[in-house]
Amino acid sequence: MSFRALWIITHDKGENASVRFSRRFATVEHRAKKLGGSLYVAVPEDSTVLRLLLTELSLSDPHKPFVLLRDDCRRCPKTPAFELRVGPGQETLWPVVVITDGSLIVACLGLVDVPLEPRPPLANLLCVSQGITFLLGLQNFLLGSGGKVDNELMASRLETLPSVLLQVCPFGTPLDVPSVGALAMYSVPITAGNQKQPVWKTGFHRGRAVVNTALTETVRCMQYGDPTKQDTWDVYGTVMCKCEVEGVLPDVTVTLTLPPNGSPLQDILVHHCVTSLDSSILTACSVDNDSSSFSGPYKFPFSPPLEPFRLCGYTSQVPVPPILGSYQLKEEENHLLVSVTLKLHESVKNSFEYCEAHLPFFNRPQMGSVDIKVSSGHVDVSKEKNLVAWVLGQKFPRSRDVSMEGRITFSGSTAGPADPICTDLTAYVKLYFKVPETTLSGCYVDQHSVQVYSSAKPKITTSRELQSKDYFIWNSTSTAPICQLLL
Amino acid sequence: MAVNWKVKISDFFRSPSRFVSSKSADTFLAELLRELRDDRVTNNTKVYLLSPLCEQAALLCPTVSIGEETVLELLSVFAHCPVPWVEFRSSLLITLTSVLICTSCVSNKIHVCGDFLDLLLQIVQDTSNLHGDSVLLLRAIACECLQELETCCPGLLSQRLELIGGLWTKETSKLHQPYARLNTLVLKNCVYQLAMDPGSGDDYLKLLVGENTVVNWEADQRLAQVDKDSAILSSLIMGHMGTVPILQTGRDCKDLRSVLSTTLENSFLLSPLCQAAVLHRLMEVVAMVPVVRPSIFRAQLLRMLGTSEVCLLHSTLLMKCAYTDSLFSTDDEGFILRRLVVLSQHPLLSKPEKLFFMDYMLHFPENRPISCGNNESPPVLLTSQLACTLAPTLLNDYATMLARFNLLLVVCQEEGEKDGEEGRGLVYLYEHLGLLLNIMIRGHSREIAATFFRAVFLFLVSFCHMERYATSIAEKLCTLYHHQTHLAPHILNLAEQSSDLFPECNWSARLCRALQGVVIEAPPAQFTLTDLGWHLKVLARVAEEGQIPQQTTLQLLSKIIFTPSVCLTSNWRLGNSVLQLCRRLMTHPSLDSLFTSLANVLQHLICYYGDADIQDRARLYYSLLTTLSKEKLTGIIKQGLREEGQNIKHSLSCIMADTERLTSVLTIQQTEKPVFRLVELKYPEPQERNEIILESDSSPSEEQDSAGLEAYRAQFKDPCFGSQITLHYQLNHTMHNLSCFDQVFSIHLHFSLMDDTCEELCDFNVPCLFRERRSPVVKLVLKPRLPVPITLSCSAIFNTLNGLSWYTSLPDMHVLFQQTFLPLVVPTTWGTAVKLGVFNDIWDEISREEKADYATTLFCGQLQAEELGSIVEKQLLTFIISDSANQAELKCVFFIPPQFHILLKIISEEDAVHFNVVTDNWRLLPHISSFIGNLLMSLPEKVTSHP
Repeated sequence: MSFRALWIITHDKGENASVRFSRRFATVEHRAKKLGGSLYVAVPEDSTVLRLLLTELSLSDPHKPFVLLRDDCRRCPKTPAFELRVGPGQETLWPVVVITDGSLIVACLGLVDVPLEPRPPLANLLCVSQGITFLLGLQNFLLGSGGKVDNELMASRLETLPSVLLQVCPFGTPLDVPSVGALAMYSVPITAGNQKQPVWKTGFHRGRAVVNTALTETVRCMQYGDPTKQDTWDVYGTVMCKCEVEGVLPDVTVTLTLPPNGSPLQDILVHHCVTSLDSSILTACSVDNDSSSFSGPYKFPFSPPLEPFRLCGYTSQVPVPPILGSYQLKEEENHLLVSVTLKLHESVKNSFEYCEAHLPFFNRPQMGSVDIKVSSGHVDVSKEKNLVAWVLGQKFPRSRDVSMEGRITFSGSTAGPADPICTDLTAYVKLYFKVPETTLSGCYVDQHSVQVYSSAKPKITTSRELQSKDYFIWNSTSTAPICQLLL
Repeated sequence: MAVNWKVKISDFFRSPSRFVSSKSADTFLAELLRELRDDRVTNNTKVYLLSPLCEQAALLCPTVSIGEETVLELLSVFAHCPVPWVEFRSSLLITLTSVLICTSCVSNKIHVCGDFLDLLLQIVQDTSNLHGDSVLLLRAIACECLQELETCCPGLLSQRLELIGGLWTKETSKLHQPYARLNTLVLKNCVYQLAMDPGSGDDYLKLLVGENTVVNWEADQRLAQVDKDSAILSSLIMGHMGTVPILQTGRDCKDLRSVLSTTLENSFLLSPLCQAAVLHRLMEVVAMVPVVRPSIFRAQLLRMLGTSEVCLLHSTLLMKCAYTDSLFSTDDEGFILRRLVVLSQHPLLSKPEKLFFMDYMLHFPENRPISCGNNESPPVLLTSQLACTLAPTLLNDYATMLARFNLLLVVCQEEGEKDGEEGRGLVYLYEHLGLLLNIMIRGHSREIAATFFRAVFLFLVSFCHMERYATSIAEKLCTLYHHQTHLAPHILNLAEQSSDLFPECNWSARLCRALQGVVIEAPPAQFTLTDLGWHLKVLARVAEEGQIPQQTTLQLLSKIIFTPSVCLTSNWRLGNSVLQLCRRLMTHPSLDSLFTSLANVLQHLICYYGDADIQDRARLYYSLLTTLSKEKLTGIIKQGLREEGQNIKHSLSCIMADTERLTSVLTIQQTEKPVFRLVELKYPEPQERNEIILESDSSPSEEQDSAGLEAYRAQFKDPCFGSQITLHYQLNHTMHNLSCFDQVFSIHLHFSLMDDTCEELCDFNVPCLFRERRSPVVKLVLKPRLPVPITLSCSAIFNTLNGLSWYTSLPDMHVLFQQTFLPLVVPTTWGTAVKLGVFNDIWDEISREEKADYATTLFCGQLQAEELGSIVEKQLLTFIISDSANQAELKCVFFIPPQFHILLKIISEEDAVHFNVVTDNWRLLPHISSFIGNLLMSLPEKVTSHP
């Protein structure tokens, strides 16, 4: 459960790659040598590791169509751990856990503390899951809240990284994930009493107790408008909490409640500060047809950390998607005839923060003239002339039906973006919307059900919202890129 | 200074081993330690200075004694370091631990380890809060150091278990986390030791409540035994529990049980990463002590199965692996599996987490496993219905798509074997391949192409034996090749790997036959040059299959070759592809029927192909074809082909097409570390000494001494005169080396200069270098431009026995100032008196004239006459000009190319020796000063200088 080495790499689509930070853990390497015996392979220099990693990640030689080491069909990168072929023979470094995000690559080489031959499955190596946890934390640390590479931020985070690693991974065995707060980990005041402090609590609150929960449900959808293809949609939710409660290990309980016609919550995941979990909550599972029809209430007793955290996450199967749509494209001479209709389901609150339908066009020249009529809202054309955005605003009309008709010519001189899937008439409408104070499953946090075991009366606020993600309506006049699984 | 270190340390990290083997690294460690002691250096810089030692302790301290000295130095730095410098002190502790472990000081029980251990225990127990919060960090780090020492030397702290347990129980600050980790580790190692020692039995109680004795480094023999056994470093939880030692105890294990349950109860307070590690240790303890039932973990299970932390869930899964049905019922097993299916697609988890869970399912530790071994096999409870929820789609990223594809494939394969029929899952997967194929036909990105062929390969691995799929996939690939000819390398790679992995299906032959059809049927007039290249490569592969008739291939080849535009291209690569195809046809079993046409093709190439190399090789093939019997021909060419595969012999490119093997032979490989170094030869053979032998017919005779200086100066009219020095070096192997470099040949040494202090050097060739033979001498002729020390960098290209060429760089060479000294350069016919005259003339001129470059100086050293004698004897003899008239004064002259002089008059006074120095270049003064200083260095007296 230790790492032999750690690397942080940045690159630009495989080019200008450089190792921005690397660390070798001498004592772990010492153990690796002892454990590995004749099978031991030393960690090579950074430049070598960089080259090998880029090959494994299919990022090397981006302009060459086929490189045997990179593209061999027998090598199948389907696990989070890679094998770097260091020497000409069987000399390999394994397992190198790698996490990539855009131009950032973070990687660590785990210590194999079981016999190396025959090659043990990843499942037997705790260092792999520890590596994933640690690297995901490291990635968050380097990217900050933006989630995108920001060179200045990253440079400053890289500068503090040695001090952070001193606390969270001094010898190659990870103690915690790197975080901005890690620097102050041991500067928390010591309190009197016998209760041990939770390590994941960065400080203590004094004053009135405040509990804030925000429930966000996200809906994903694929609609094909094709009777031979089954539409699919799913819903998942998260409860974010921010609790300011006095005491070393205060008890708080948040309960999720469903209305009588609500859709049960399934596949529940909880934060590690949740102290206990009822088995009926845990066994509700989306892949199990016989699972019990437990429909709450869902109680989550926990002792909160100081900063905001994700208390729990779940999925749910709702009977209908919130917006039903159809999309039809016809190609005529040099233009496309476009027709879109959308219908908001009656159970969904007709009050949006925003609602937009985007019609991107790939593998075509830029748009020339756009002649489109809509029954509600208005239409924008993107600056790059490859996307039509239908802005529906805050409300659907009373009938809850909207439609769009029109024609688009593609006569621009420059080519638009390419996409491997959306060729010919294969195309989609993607919906972006957010509805405050509602959820599809019906789930909510009842303000009165939040229990805080402290002397003063706590201030409790709750909120909920529904948003879309990957909400696709495919053109029904062409084949959608899916094959049907008949169950 | 700080900048200097930054550069130096980043140089070090760029290539630690090369840095260490270069000459400048000799003093690196010493300089580092000196800098660490320097009070003027800032805290941050010092932390940075520690990093090389911390990360590469074994490299910088190659022996136990150097390690011990370094530890002593660092301990003294620690002792003198101000208390508030917590970060530096913490880094020091970590570095100390790393050095101790990596230099084997701990396993060798060097005394200083005991001191360090005492220091750590003292810090850990220092609960006074005098120095603020930051002291907590130091204690935490000290605790980590103990943890690391105990991990690397199990049993080291077994006598301290009670102390550590006490600290853990009492601690309420966040320090309880490191204590908890340390406590469980020491406990586990104790139990292991006791379990390995058959006599111990119930004695574990003694250990848990044992007396707090000081660690005795010599006494405990048992510790030594455990330490040598690397098994204790391994995880005990790994699927097969046969290797776990068992501790036989009485029924009651109250103390142990209570320690375990308290640790478990408090594990909730640890960070998820530490929780996982602590749980893992506890699992090992429980596995070794049968009296404690695995059900002790039950209270934690629900919490851990519901967690969103992958590492915590993984430790629960390891419990499943370790305890199977003694902790998990069949229902539990079904639940865990469903949970894994859910987690493999859970929208709130990241891609690596999902991939991990998918991989886990293929190695699921079942309570009643049917198959054994490490191959991927899905658990029985994972039905295709369950797995179908993980069906791949085009919108998945490539890794996820492949993982899902593979998972569903193995499940379908397993079910197919049971039921003997193909399920819906398989149909789906096949359709999915079809979707990918459609994308490929319309044009594609590089990544999709690689993913598609990987998916096809996976499919074939599982279902190549099903006739319908095998045929249909081959057909589809042909359609693809027809549309996208440049995918040939992918298709050939697929053919190669499938014939390698499942030759019994004969699928690659089937594919080849179909590909041949595609190429033959295409109208040759429409081939572009690139297409043609690919077609020829494909046909060459097809011709490897003995059972596929080649007449059509040869007809096409003739058609192509007899097209005038093809021969006129004079494209070497294309010619190569044609020859490669010819070569394959020459070994084909049906050669008899191909003979005439093939000979015609070769003949045509000889006469008309636009590239001379291709013509030559065609001629060779033609003669081979027409003169050798079929058996011999096949033998020769097959031998060439065989050697392509085995990396034995340096084959000639004329027999070979451009293959990987050929590329590696033609490429110059680079060594990771320097393989050789040049060592100065202190005592070369007499005839090899620095000498300039002149045959001068215009030399002044003894009588003409007054004209000596002019004659001497006149020699320099020839610009080459006296301008070069010759140095002798030995070419040796460096210390750490691979055996493949023991015998190397044709070493071509190339020297380059760091600056322009010297003329460019000629390259030097050494025929061979064998480790067991005498090292060859390398004679370097330098032509300095300035009289200063010179640094040369050197690289070498050489060949090894296996036919590969290598490039290596050698450590830098430093030519010292005194190595550039020559005696006074005069013709051999000149006698001592003439030389003396020249000496005196130069001396007088420099002393008299006030030229800007002239300088006079005096050095004094406290030397006895006999000491002076020995210095002169050893170092100066060649430069002395004897003067019978004045025996008390030694006259010494150094000529320094290109045209400079240093003249010395050494006079021994009562208690000191005076070195009177004159030179015609004052810039030499600092070098002279250090040279004379070095001369006297072995002597305790000081040298003073009066310029």
